[in-house]
Amino acid sequence: MIYLDSAATTFQKPPAVAAAMRDALLTMSSPGRGGHPAAMRAADIAFQCRSELAELFGVGNPERVVFTENATHGLNIAIKSLVPPGGRAVVSGYEHNAVTRPLKALEAKIDVATAPLFHPDAVTVAFEQHVKPGVDAVICNHISNVFGFIQPVEEIAALCRERGVPFIIDASQSAGVLPLNMDRLGAAFIAMPGHKGLYGPQGTGVLLCGENVTAKTLLEGGTGSLSIQQEMPDFLPDRLEAGTHNMPGISGLLAGVKYVRQRGMQNILDRERRLALLAAEGMRTIDGVRVFALSGLRDQAGVLSFAPKYKDVEEIGSGLAEKGIAVRSGLHCAPFAHRSAGTLDTGTVRLSFSDFNTPVEVYRFLSVLQGVLR
Amino acid sequence: MDYYLILARSVTYAQRMQRALERTGIHCQIARAPRDMTDLGCAYILRLAAADLAAALTVLHRESLDPVQIFLNQRGVLREVRYDLS
Repeated sequence: MIYLDSAATTFQKPPAVAAAMRDALLTMSSPGRGGHPAAMRAADIAFQCRSELAELFGVGNPERVVFTENATHGLNIAIKSLVPPGGRAVVSGYEHNAVTRPLKALEAKIDVATAPLFHPDAVTVAFEQHVKPGVDAVICNHISNVFGFIQPVEEIAALCRERGVPFIIDASQSAGVLPLNMDRLGAAFIAMPGHKGLYGPQGTGVLLCGENVTAKTLLEGGTGSLSIQQEMPDFLPDRLEAGTHNMPGISGLLAGVKYVRQRGMQNILDRERRLALLAAEGMRTIDGVRVFALSGLRDQAGVLSFAPKYKDVEEIGSGLAEKGIAVRSGLHCAPFAHRSAGTLDTGTVRLSFSDFNTPVEVYRFLSVLQGVLR
Repeated sequence: MDYYLILARSVTYAQRMQRALERTGIHCQIARAPRDMTDLGCAYILRLAAADLAAALTVLHRESLDPVQIFLNQRGVLREVRYDLS
């Protein structure tokens, strides 16, 4: 299989990930649940993982690195900590349902900072117009999961700091490929999956919490601390980590994060962008395909959408799958992004690359695509 | 041998303390807190040699890692001790 669906989850992982997961199953129980070797080994690995992530993302204190099940879990905590029922949030025009559905559940007023695709300056201007006193939170993804559009989170963070509005960053597509410094940005929360660009297993995610932010709990339960007290601890990470930890997942995530740090995020990004550019240029020579990319893949990471002019996107996705090529077609759980790009009615077919893809795979994809389009 | 037990609010906090001390060459072990040390329920402690306490507290204070409580285990008898960390 040629796997080009890494924006959903990276399929090929560094071999150390599976080895670490196996080791966890054989040697670990749960951190904070006893002083015996199995519990202490689990605690050591969990702390190592927090520390690696804290260093990678500029978090001054590893206690502010919280393990979640996925980015959606983290975003729910972040949004529900800051936006009260009926509150007000400003979001970009490229948000995922992981952001907009929690806001809908809160019956929040959502102001969309609308801007055209691949125009980061227009995104900044749109946020400048919408971020006002009374806004409970600003939420923006770093990279659009549909189009790979790199959004100007540094500028939005500066605006939020200036106007005193908490900022939540959805780093689902950028964690592991673009630098993010939590403390420098002054973000309230940054949520990310462990199973995409950090090369951890499915079922892992991370929520980075700002220094002076009070997080609300989604779950209450045992934490291995303050056991007599019936309220959840007021300190992190315990406050947000009720119940037994996913130690095979956290061990695998640690191995994935070490891989990313050793390999270098810029090297990974460069590789993914080269492959996306190769695919974009190749598709531009094929009749019946609209490619969503600017020249040289400006303001875009290794995620690329295209729309067939004469066929349904699902037909293309199925046709490619039959030939052993995994892509994602449809709306990608991001109707806001498709509405912004004008593709809500048709959807797109998305290619998304990882550090394990090769140019040969792209050439094969281009060849197969021509056949599927016929 | 006499030793000190430094009570931490959680295992993660204890690990932060341990790493901070190790960076300055102070050796300590993390263990579960004896049940009679705290009335808050489960907790973790750092166990360190009596001779290391003053240096350890200086390091922890510098790193803003203040202990919940400090105990001295003297010939098997545990008693809380108070230190001015400022």
